[in-house]
Amino acid sequence: MSSLQFLNERADIIKKAQALAVNTNAAKGLQEVLKSNLGPKGTIKMLVGGAGQVKLTKDGSTLLGEMQIQHPTAAMIGRAANAQDDIVGDGTTTNVLFIGELMRKAEAYLSEGVHPRILVDGIESAKIETLKFLEEFKEERKIDRDLLIDIAKASLETKIHPKLAEQMASIVSDAVMTIQKEDNIDLHMVEILHMKHKMSTDTKLIKGLVLDHGARHDDMPKKLTNCYILTCNVSLEYEKTDVHSGFFWSSAEQREKLIASERTFTNDKVEKILELKRKVCDGTDKSFVVINQKGIDPESLDMMAKEGIIGIRRAKRRNMERLTLACGGHAMNSVDDLTEEDLGFAKLVYEQTIGEDKFTFVEGVENPFSCTILIKGPNDHSIAQIKGAIRDGLRSVKNCIHDQAVVPGAGAFEIAASEHLREHQKTVHGKAKFGVEVFADALLTIPKTLADNGGYDSQEVILDCVDKYNETKKPFGIDLNTGKPSPSNVTNVYDNYCVKRQFLNISPILSQQLLLVDEVMRAGKRMRAEEE
Amino acid sequence: MFKQAAGLQGLLKDGSRHYTGLEEAILKNIDAVKTLSKMTRSSLGPHGMNKMVITHIGKLIVTSDAATIVKEIEVQHPAAKMVAMAAAMQESEAGDGTNFVLTLSGELMQQAENLIQEGLHPSDILLGYEKASQKCLEYLDSLVCYSIEDMKNEEEVQKCIRSVVASKHYGNEDLLAPLIAKACIYAMPENPKEFVVDNVRVTKILGGGLTDSQVIHGMCVIRGSETTVHNVKEAKVAVFNCQLEAENGDTKGTVLLKTAEELANYTKGEEETMEKFVKKLHDTGINVVISGASISEVCLHYMEKYKIMVLRIHSKFETKRIASTLGGAILVRMDAPTPEEVGHADEVYTTEISSTQCTIFRRDEVDNRIGTIVLRASTINVLDDAERAIDDGVNTVKNMTKNSAFCAGAGATEIHLSSQLQTYAKTQPGLDQYAVERFGQAFEVIPRTLAENAGLNAEEIIAKLFSETAKSPFYGIDVEDGKVKDMKALEIYDSLECKSWAIKLAVDAVLTILKVDQIIMSKPAGGPKPREARAPDLD
Repeated sequence: MSSLQFLNERADIIKKAQALAVNTNAAKGLQEVLKSNLGPKGTIKMLVGGAGQVKLTKDGSTLLGEMQIQHPTAAMIGRAANAQDDIVGDGTTTNVLFIGELMRKAEAYLSEGVHPRILVDGIESAKIETLKFLEEFKEERKIDRDLLIDIAKASLETKIHPKLAEQMASIVSDAVMTIQKEDNIDLHMVEILHMKHKMSTDTKLIKGLVLDHGARHDDMPKKLTNCYILTCNVSLEYEKTDVHSGFFWSSAEQREKLIASERTFTNDKVEKILELKRKVCDGTDKSFVVINQKGIDPESLDMMAKEGIIGIRRAKRRNMERLTLACGGHAMNSVDDLTEEDLGFAKLVYEQTIGEDKFTFVEGVENPFSCTILIKGPNDHSIAQIKGAIRDGLRSVKNCIHDQAVVPGAGAFEIAASEHLREHQKTVHGKAKFGVEVFADALLTIPKTLADNGGYDSQEVILDCVDKYNETKKPFGIDLNTGKPSPSNVTNVYDNYCVKRQFLNISPILSQQLLLVDEVMRAGKRMRAEEE
Repeated sequence: MFKQAAGLQGLLKDGSRHYTGLEEAILKNIDAVKTLSKMTRSSLGPHGMNKMVITHIGKLIVTSDAATIVKEIEVQHPAAKMVAMAAAMQESEAGDGTNFVLTLSGELMQQAENLIQEGLHPSDILLGYEKASQKCLEYLDSLVCYSIEDMKNEEEVQKCIRSVVASKHYGNEDLLAPLIAKACIYAMPENPKEFVVDNVRVTKILGGGLTDSQVIHGMCVIRGSETTVHNVKEAKVAVFNCQLEAENGDTKGTVLLKTAEELANYTKGEEETMEKFVKKLHDTGINVVISGASISEVCLHYMEKYKIMVLRIHSKFETKRIASTLGGAILVRMDAPTPEEVGHADEVYTTEISSTQCTIFRRDEVDNRIGTIVLRASTINVLDDAERAIDDGVNTVKNMTKNSAFCAGAGATEIHLSSQLQTYAKTQPGLDQYAVERFGQAFEVIPRTLAENAGLNAEEIIAKLFSETAKSPFYGIDVEDGKVKDMKALEIYDSLECKSWAIKLAVDAVLTILKVDQIIMSKPAGGPKPREARAPDLD
């Protein structure tokens, strides 16, 4: 007890076995919570926020983010899982489950007197071996649309209704293929917008761009065809001078002159745009659309309206980039010397109003490198759910293109890796065997949970799969519709290679750290008195 | 801190709660939805009762409109809230049938509970309900009983909205339906698909009775003229959306006066400019000016001088609407309008209705797509309730522009769906057939409630309905004498569009709730509840 006296009397300290128990319990607790969410058959959790707002989710990272975890160990695991989400966009739940299971399995050995350090060494060697095995196990594939759809579907089915997932899978795959430029994929170039309207199955991909605002002048056309599109960042309204300035007048006449001169400044700029419009459109069936990042004041809008131009002001900066990628042309910073080459082109531009929200659609563009996913849904929570899913779906498609490889999913990898480790265990000497054993057992938690959530007897299903694998040495996953093992090249369920690699890197390290903790100290309240 | 509370509770922040599993989460959610739907159920149909709701700011609302009730009672329970949201969505999607959503979801929940108690797993129920709802929508499409041909025919439109109005304001449907029909026809564009609900305006004026209500082809604004001109025939109108006073540019301006003369001439100059402007208006033939912003006294003075009627409108949207009624453009500069920008009206006049100053814009041109119902009633509550009935009626017209098909009302469609789904269930192989069957049974709730609310013997009527529906799918209840009759003959129709949305939304909400197996609630935020951010009420 001697160390206690060095501590502030209000500080907490727990040691050795107790410290380990705290960590293990937290890991196991979190595993319990997230367990029912894994896989396509997982259930949904309803989160109710402080002000009564409802959120429905199956997604591990959303759940961890919203749950307000206080326990320090649990929070650490949560953060590790979120790191996984940040890097590859999937596999959060897997991470938490795996950490929990590693801790659970390790606990048994620790209680038999195995030193944590030895266990940790074993886990480390198993990790290295599994990563090696992953390299052999992954299937290098030529990337085509079907493969991308398959991989997106596998990722999406774990977040949303299977029927919806199928539809979304082709949407996200097409979206990524649209924006792909050689090897460079910037997912920001996919605009994701939502409309609270109709049903979720009405969600669609628009090759072109949708802006979440409309023209601010009533007389502007609501629909134009064959449009030149001028993307610019020019202020078409009065700008204050940098220096302090003002008008002085002594009669109404003078005042009018001054005000007129003030207008000319802006009008000149608008006139230049109108000139270009007349040059390229007059005498043809073409029309003209101006999309400006800065403002356009009512009078300038009026001038444009009279020419039949749709003028849209205050577009998002990102949309300027997207617009030029979608329709071509350049984003202009000045209206001087505009030429036809600076303009983009779209077959159709129209405005749609839903309630009080306006949307402008720029459609019918040739060879776009940017597109919009337009989410529809009857209420906020279903929109939020789809939005999360689409984000993950996009990431998984992107990952797949980067990896140029996939890993058979539905638990196939975990089962195979676990069997491989059991072989590897024979070559490991000494107590490190235990660590390898722990790792091999823990890996099985993923397929087990998948089967559990599908309502099947997990022991039986796993053993079936293991047998099948050992017989054929081919990847076998669980078919969650029948509860039977099925070769994954038949079901076409694939996971991302980098997701697997990431989770194999993150979770063992964290569990190793947690296992090696032998003392937890918490500062006394008085020590952080300033905070409170 | 390190207390060894097991499971989730030990990990979360103090004060948060969580519910897991069948008993705690699913059944509790079911219960909440049932409670909500039981409450609104008694308001279903023409004989539905009214509810008196007093909101947190003390406003009294008497209504049988479920959308309003649910909105005003601020549902707290998360599951019940989701059904309430489905009802709100129905209101914005179809504008009617909210009570249908609530009642059906409640009954579907009730049936789900029974199934769970009988030992069915929620996933089987989900499967069955999904299957049934798809089938149900298929059946629904085949139950068309009437299809409106001419959306501009007053009588036909009236026929279609009568039953909707009757369910909100029973007894007054013969009074309100013609008004709504007339206003809607005014607002009906060449292509009915472009019909905009907002173009049917309702101006509520307290006093008189519902019988005094009338329809105007144009607008009615509760505001008098600013000048002494009160009545202009064959009006030429300029609509301004900028200040009608001495222009001040965006740059900061200072008046620099050096001599006393300049001071004396300054105001004079101002006045002259203004007169020049007003005179120019006058010369163009303008005799009515609408301003969406402020008007200076000097300007008013000259308007008076040139006998121009002036109206100040404070809402931007109202200004826009007036401009579109009159077929003119909104001017953003203080300048006389070009001939195309001038708006026209057959008559613009200010009158006093029950000591309320109103200005009426009448323009009997086909391209004037705005119809206004001037609604009169003795109390604010009746006014509000009648407005809601009108709203539902107008939305039904909107629905028929989207889908001209109507199905039989008065429970006829529901009972037919119910019987067909139950037959379909028997052909299904798996455990989910029980869920399909119960889904079918749930539809009985509509005719049952209609009968119960009318004080009739529900069991007897349901039995009779089932035997009749086998012959023709159009047999429903006549709530007046409690007999089962052919609704096609009685001309009681429901919009198919509205019904199909209601079923979709109700099923969607129910399925979502049944999928939840765990609820995690954060500690309620302290202090008064933050007010919901709402768009400012500009009308």
